Amino acid sequence: MNCDHLEPLIEGLADGTAALDAFGRAHLETCAVCQARVEQARDIERYLASREIPSPPSTFTAGVMALVADERWRTEQVVDLGFNLAIAAGVLVMLTGIGGLAWSLGLLTVTVDLDTILEAAGTGLGGRVVSQVQTIAMAAVLLTMALALWWWTEADSSF
Amino acid sequence: MRATETAGRATRTLRGEVAEHELIERCRRGDEAAFRELVEQFKGLVFALIARSVTNRARAEELAQDVFLKVYRGLPYFRGDARLSTWIYRITVNVLSQERPDLATASLDEIKPGESEPRIRPAAADRAFADLTLKDRLDKAIQRLPIAHQVLINGHYLKGLQYDELAAALDLPMGTVKTHLHRAKRRLRHLLETEFR
Repeated sequence: MNCDHLEPLIEGLADGTAALDAFGRAHLETCAVCQARVEQARDIERYLASREIPSPPSTFTAGVMALVADERWRTEQVVDLGFNLAIAAGVLVMLTGIGGLAWSLGLLTVTVDLDTILEAAGTGLGGRVVSQVQTIAMAAVLLTMALALWWWTEADSSF
Repeated sequence: MRATETAGRATRTLRGEVAEHELIERCRRGDEAAFRELVEQFKGLVFALIARSVTNRARAEELAQDVFLKVYRGLPYFRGDARLSTWIYRITVNVLSQERPDLATASLDEIKPGESEPRIRPAAADRAFADLTLKDRLDKAIQRLPIAHQVLINGHYLKGLQYDELAAALDLPMGTVKTHLHRAKRRLRHLLETEFR
């Protein structure tokens, strides 16, 4: 046993997790360098075990919760923006659909005076609307879904 | 008797896992009180781990809060494969690594022959350790260690962190934690004898 053999065992000797055989003990008893290393390792061990444990300030949790609230607010802003864009797109689609429906019903080709339109609305329009009932129903469902989604997003304000 | 103790420990562990699972689920459902409970439960160890590596207390607090912000962001994706504590300590190690990228990738291997060989002088060693500056020298030396060694040393001497948690947080095989801890302390001893004499 020499100093090089003992060197990797020094921390184990210092913290009590390693033990020397007879040869190791004999070397340690006579080697001032290894004795100094072991003593040094024990000093380190004592210091590490006695160090004060730093405590977080009393405002720590409140600080974290404020950061989380800020994070949530930013996330909600993004969700709101996305939702508003989706609503705007939906409204645009619906307006386009209504316009298309009106065009298919012939309401956009105004070639007669108001009396004629009102007369047509009172008589001929009913039949045309009935023939487009599927399109109108789909538009109504889309509108209802959009409103329901908006209501759900606004209502879910937990966390 | 031993079987009864083992069964008792297993029951306590199971209860702990159930409680942890419930806490995670409550956090995921958006329960603010649950997240506050989580922060209260782990803030001591997270802050202590960071504050022992980062001397500026205000910065340490910022980093510790950042850990919990990352926990909050990550909770929806936490699958529960690892324990919550392990996951949080892993985030802590990552935050520390980002703070000191130079030490994050430092080798954890043994000190190479000839590299900063300690120059022990038996007569002087006692005087050196009797010096009141020992604490400062050790603190500075610890901060020069690779992040993984810092976490090992700082974590090991904090009551409440187990070997398996340290191993999982640092991605080290469980059987090598003690070896790495001894390497870390050996490196610390070498630093004290070379750069922080």
